[in-house]
Amino acid sequence: MGEYLGILVATVFGVAFVAVTLAVSSLVRPVNPLPAKAMPYECGENPVGTPWGVQFNIRFYVFALVFLIFDVEAVMLLPWALAYLDLGPGALAAGLLFLGMLVLGLADVWVKGDLEWVRTEERRALKRRGASPAAAPTGGSA
Amino acid sequence: MNSLLWLIPAIPGLGAAVNGLFGRHLGKRASAAIACGSVAASFLLALGFFFTRFLAEGGASARVEQSLFEWIPSMGVEWAYRLDSLSMVMTLVVTGIGLLIHIYSVGYMSHDGGFSRFFAYLNLFTFFMLNLVLGANMLLLFIGWEGVGLCSYLLIGFWFERPAAAQAGKKAFIVNRIGDAGFILAVFLTFVTFGTLDFYGVMGEIASADMQGGVLTAIGVLLFVGAAGKSAQIPLYVWLPDAMEGPTPVSALIHAATMVTAGVYMVARSGVLFSHAPAALALVATVGALTAIFAATIALFQTDIKKVLAYSTVSQLGYMFLGAGVGAFAAAIFHLMTHAFFKACLFLGSGSVIHAMEHAEHASGGHRHYTEMQDMRNMGGLLRHMPRTGWTFIVATIAIAGIPPLAGFFSKDEILWKTFEHGHFVLWGIAAAAAVMTAFYMSRQVIMTFLGDFRGGAAMEKHLHESAPSMTVPLVILAAGSVVAGFVGVPSALGGSYRLHTFLEPAIYAGGQAPPAMPHNYALEYALMALSVALAAAGIWFAWRRYRNAPTRDASLAGSGAYRLLLNKYYVDEIYDATAVNGTLRGGEGLYRLDQRVVDGAVNGSARVTMLSADLSDLSDRNVVDRAVNLVAEILGAASTRFRRLQSGLFQSYALLMLLAVVLLAGALVLWS
Amino acid sequence: MSDALASLGRFLPELLLMGALAVVIVADLATQAWSLARSRNLLVGLTLAGLGAAFVASLGEPGGGSLFASMIADDGLLGVLRPLFALTAIFTLLFSLRAKELDGARMGEMVALLLTVTAALMWMAGSVNLVMIYLSLETVSVASYIMVGYRSSDRLSNEASLKYILFGAVSTGVMLFGLSLLYGLTGTLDLYGVRAALAAEDAGPALILVLLLVAGGIGFKIAAVPFHFWCPDVYTGASTPVTAFLSVGPKAAGFAVLIRFFYSGIAQPGADGTFAAVGGVDWQGLIIVLAVVTMTLGNVAALLQTNMKRLLAYSSIAHAGTILIGAAALSSEGIGAIVTYLVIYLFMNLGAFLVVILVHRVTGTFELEGYAGFWKRSPLLTVAMGIFLFSLMGIPPFAGFFAKLYVFAAAVEAELGWLAVVGVLNSAVAAFYYIKVLRIMAVDPGDGELPALRFSRLDGALLLALVTPNVVGILFGGALEQISEIAQRLLDLA
Repeated sequence: MGEYLGILVATVFGVAFVAVTLAVSSLVRPVNPLPAKAMPYECGENPVGTPWGVQFNIRFYVFALVFLIFDVEAVMLLPWALAYLDLGPGALAAGLLFLGMLVLGLADVWVKGDLEWVRTEERRALKRRGASPAAAPTGGSA
Repeated sequence: MNSLLWLIPAIPGLGAAVNGLFGRHLGKRASAAIACGSVAASFLLALGFFFTRFLAEGGASARVEQSLFEWIPSMGVEWAYRLDSLSMVMTLVVTGIGLLIHIYSVGYMSHDGGFSRFFAYLNLFTFFMLNLVLGANMLLLFIGWEGVGLCSYLLIGFWFERPAAAQAGKKAFIVNRIGDAGFILAVFLTFVTFGTLDFYGVMGEIASADMQGGVLTAIGVLLFVGAAGKSAQIPLYVWLPDAMEGPTPVSALIHAATMVTAGVYMVARSGVLFSHAPAALALVATVGALTAIFAATIALFQTDIKKVLAYSTVSQLGYMFLGAGVGAFAAAIFHLMTHAFFKACLFLGSGSVIHAMEHAEHASGGHRHYTEMQDMRNMGGLLRHMPRTGWTFIVATIAIAGIPPLAGFFSKDEILWKTFEHGHFVLWGIAAAAAVMTAFYMSRQVIMTFLGDFRGGAAMEKHLHESAPSMTVPLVILAAGSVVAGFVGVPSALGGSYRLHTFLEPAIYAGGQAPPAMPHNYALEYALMALSVALAAAGIWFAWRRYRNAPTRDASLAGSGAYRLLLNKYYVDEIYDATAVNGTLRGGEGLYRLDQRVVDGAVNGSARVTMLSADLSDLSDRNVVDRAVNLVAEILGAASTRFRRLQSGLFQSYALLMLLAVVLLAGALVLWS
Repeated sequence: MSDALASLGRFLPELLLMGALAVVIVADLATQAWSLARSRNLLVGLTLAGLGAAFVASLGEPGGGSLFASMIADDGLLGVLRPLFALTAIFTLLFSLRAKELDGARMGEMVALLLTVTAALMWMAGSVNLVMIYLSLETVSVASYIMVGYRSSDRLSNEASLKYILFGAVSTGVMLFGLSLLYGLTGTLDLYGVRAALAAEDAGPALILVLLLVAGGIGFKIAAVPFHFWCPDVYTGASTPVTAFLSVGPKAAGFAVLIRFFYSGIAQPGADGTFAAVGGVDWQGLIIVLAVVTMTLGNVAALLQTNMKRLLAYSSIAHAGTILIGAAALSSEGIGAIVTYLVIYLFMNLGAFLVVILVHRVTGTFELEGYAGFWKRSPLLTVAMGIFLFSLMGIPPFAGFFAKLYVFAAAVEAELGWLAVVGVLNSAVAAFYYIKVLRIMAVDPGDGELPALRFSRLDGALLLALVTPNVVGILFGGALEQISEIAQRLLDLA
């Protein structure tokens, strides 16, 4: 059980630290509750609605995902780019294959219209109804 | 010749395949020819084996074995057939009586739309039944065992547009599942104990090691659970009477002559095992005797012509188990054989009657329910209109009642005698009482059906006539069999030599020793024989006195509690429904609810507790963490409504239950270690 | 590097699937402008070719030894399961052509996902490294989530997908935690290294936690109680071919991981083909409890279902419980019994789902009432369903009997006779609900006079392909045992 003792000590200490700090500050601070004080901090903006009511456009997620994939790709490619000369043709082929798969993925989201804010088929549908693409709902609230 | 053994089951199997796949395009004639021809071929082959191998000097211990291929290598099980004297007798019964019933069915089913389907099932049944009796090991027997059960299910429900038929098929299937569970467990236990499933191997090992009781008792009891399911013994007999919803030839073939006797065959096949497990044997005998009398009492006042025969079959099967249970395996097989003749004759006779009744009703423009056409209260005086059916029925009735020198006398009396001889006086008393009842209810049936005046109306009576020759010829042959079949087992007391018994013994006690014969006590045997004949005669006389002039007088008993109890079969079906069936369903519902709903409540409860604690801290600590707590409560509330909006919103409850289960598992694991 | 190159040669089925994946994506992009039917035909054809090639490449004796620096074991177990996965995917693909739910859907993503999952299932079945187990399991899961939610306009499908994701996230997260604890305890990611470390020194109570956490992840994949809650909802919500796939493929792979983790990681082979737990925790009890609870709950809950897909979901839970009996045996026979069961289960369960698909095509419902009167409309379909259901019941002469026989035999052999008794009794209960389906199809009158059914040639071929193994399987005990014997040759037992 000896090796678990450390964990226990750390836990107790962690809880105690927070509790003591809060206790001390509640003793010394002035008590002056204001509605503005209770507001969540959102980069200096006043929050609108409840935290549950905030709706982000689903498209943000698609962009975030695509971004993430290529971001991680860069991490993987950096060591490969530095070392493939030493590793020989096999490593070059492997790296190119990897890149190829990613390009394929990019092509897929591109052709399917996922990189556009208003997707191709939606735009067509809007046109048929006589509305302009610009009038399409955009963005989410901050 | 040996290498032809596999053809005996294979030919009907082929017939089933042809009729099943192409039957509709063949036409009725070709279908019938294929079905009857394939069984006839098997019968001839079996006869060939019988005459060339078994009738010769020392033929009783002849063995024909054929292994087709290695089937389950890891258990050392082969797909192997074995023909010895026991399976020889069974094969002849199955193919011989089966052939007669096939021929009868050609006439009986001639107007049915599912003609070729019927014959496909019938042939498939024959195929599996032959696998059952010829299988050299328990597993192959089990394949046949389940196969005949499947065919029985299909044939009981053959007229599945009748809800009662579909219900009966389902009941037969499920009750048999319980029995089969016992059987397969016996198979496993046997394999673990002996390392082989070959009957001769197992029996030889038991005999040579002279094992007693213990695991043998367990195997024996489990095997008997299986046998009780298939052969309709207490408490699993409930499916057989309902099975009468199937076409009558099916009742004759499967639910009287062959399949239901498979349990008896299996017990006899394991004779050595049972002889070394006295406790299991005692169970077999007791259940057999109880079933014999229990079913006989129910049969006393039934009004449906087939129901009487059904309970009679249950009762007679009880006799067979009683015989096996007192160690007289050969006597049990003897009764199995004679019973096959007279009960098949009775069923086919009743089928002929129903056929005539339905035809007459139809011709006279009536549209009564088919159960009315099977009700003996609407019959009477049919002997005048259908003499061949009537007289064969009467012959078979005398046979089953146990009047010498017909077949039933020899076989039933031998079981009674062996029971007494082995000192089971109580069981003997029960069986003797059941014998009186048998004579009574069978005579009652003959009187109500064939004697007196017709009670179905004059319009209908004009159209009553004898059935076609394809139906009456099998009846005559079976009646003849009911007369003479007993002579293969005439006891030594009557100057015979128990020929069937000496023939069967090498197979029943294969690998072991037959128990030594008891010293003869002819004086006692004669006395008991006379007594049992007197009892049978008394049963017939009672019925004659009671019903000769008033065939439907039972109606006056309607107020009697005992009568109602018997008419309603002791309410056993209702009791089973209320306890076992509903119990299982309730349990299922409860568990399902737990699975689906209770957890929901737990989650809601925990959410409420959280809210409550939030409220409490709100009260006590309003100025310090007011807002934060409210926020938490709000989040929880919002989350739970949101999740609930996802139809059932059960995800949290699922997760909670998972957590609980994991904690329980952890506890179990800690304890286990 | 040379190890990787050498491994590639023995990685052919997976490579073929990956190649097919690339081709299918390109083809999907190139045919955006084509008509639906045309592009669908092309994509299905290409996928079929890829799966077929992978199936052929996966046949034959496995090489033995491990691939990619001991990440994947190229042993008997993988050798048997690879073709099983490919076959399951082939059936799923053909099913999806006939499923009404997928009529008019673009198939590009579906076939790409199918190829991905199939390859990932193969990785999963071969993983002998903690990280590899997690990665492959997660790949299978993520792809399955999307397959379940494929009909994006269908609310039921979306809900099922979300539930599946939530459950999957919890379960795999929990499992990952368990695996990392195990790494902390033993200092190695290699399963055989784990075994060696645990054999050298007991791990103490922390190992119990590891076992439970990992059992949670595996239990989720095979749908064992109490990790089964997703199963009925997901089976109902997903389109039927996907349901059929989930009930066979990932379940089989889950059992492969179970065998790998429990038999290779925290147990070691002893004399005459038995295994003994290492690390000081006797986990046999855990598996036994899971088996009993899973069987019983699956069967009794199935009794009350009125929706065919839910019924089959609970049935598949019950079957998972029965298979767990084999895992509890702690013997090579147990492994063989599990794999035999999975092989037979493929044919009987996919068969039942095929009938569900064909019935849904004409009636548009999955409710049991919709099955009324089918005998009159199509005796053929009723008979086929009867064969599949009898096989699922485990009744001879159908192949399902062998599945149960070997599992129970393994239990009896391992002196777990009572567990076999529980299993046999459970099979008796199961007869209730299977027979109910059959009764409804054959007996209950349908609504009015419905036209007789006509089947396409594909329907006929699929039915024949699935019925035949169930009917003649009883004759091929020897062949089944050969498969079982190959599967028992784990990496260290070759």
